[in-house]
Amino acid sequence: MDGADSGDGSNRAGFLGFVAHEVRNPLSTALWSAELLSRMSAEQRSGSRGERLSAMCLRSIARVRQLVEDHFLCERLDAGGILLRFEPIPLREVIETILARPGDRGPIDVRVDTSLAVNADRTLVERALDALVAVASADKAAVRIEAGEASGGRIALTVAGHAPAPGALEDPTKGSPSDARGRSLALPLARRIAAALGGALAASEAGYVLSLPEAEGYIARPKPAAHP
Amino acid sequence: MTHPLVLVVDDDPDILDAICDILEVEQYRVARARNGLEALERVEEERPAVILLDLMMPVMDGVTFARALHERPAVKDVPILVISADGNPARAASVGARGYLAKPFDIDTLLGHVGALSADGAGGSSHAGA
Repeated sequence: MDGADSGDGSNRAGFLGFVAHEVRNPLSTALWSAELLSRMSAEQRSGSRGERLSAMCLRSIARVRQLVEDHFLCERLDAGGILLRFEPIPLREVIETILARPGDRGPIDVRVDTSLAVNADRTLVERALDALVAVASADKAAVRIEAGEASGGRIALTVAGHAPAPGALEDPTKGSPSDARGRSLALPLARRIAAALGGALAASEAGYVLSLPEAEGYIARPKPAAHP
Repeated sequence: MTHPLVLVVDDDPDILDAICDILEVEQYRVARARNGLEALERVEEERPAVILLDLMMPVMDGVTFARALHERPAVKDVPILVISADGNPARAASVGARGYLAKPFDIDTLLGHVGALSADGAGGSSHAGA
């Protein structure tokens, strides 16, 4: 598989069917675990089975929340309903922001120069990169993030880890269906964000490559010196 | 008395855990598989009374599993109840399933269907949901 980002936009019914499928699974386990808990006595709920079902219920609701958030953003991007605020965004800073958040991830190796910056909307860049890191770190795979200048005045950010499945960008069912973290819409979302920011998302055996317009003339600010 | 064995086939670990929990509380014995290939191995080893089958799974999907099952004389009559989130009952009928439940279904609805299928291994059909 290489490169071409034809996306899922040409098969809207298929995409919505996939979203429905992904939401119904954790919705099912949320409902069932809550109902099973309601059928238990207070004493049973405090036992190991009760704790397991409570954890399942919370996990399932968190998964639904992630899917709903990602789907809403996909729909708003498709509808052109988001006001974008373009500004120079230092990539290294965005990456550090994302990695500072808690997550069920393996080791992540960042090789991004502090001088590299893209001209983009900060919130969307964070969402796209967060999505790609989530997909690449599936099964706690080791992730490597690299960036460099690309043709056409762009910066190419490569996120390598769990290998992309063939056709994952074109068909979401081949991406990460039934992802227990609720990240099965991560690739459709990252693809839409890339397009909205005037960039592109591609996948190859080397990983996912997010290309975004370079912020021309960006000069990295030196970090403030620590007080003695 | 030996309680009926139900094979639950789904790639989602929480779905597997929840359904097995529901069935075990009702004294069913359960076996589980994460895809159609695992399910084929389990079904020949244990010959369940009922198979609860998801359709969209990696490695081997539910449609392929059902076709392979029906080619094996020793197990081809084990009733299949499709449990799917795809909202398409026609796919269940096309693979010879005896019933279809659209996730998320009610616990009591599931138990009603499993009870009917495990008590009556032949004839009838059992469809619910959209």
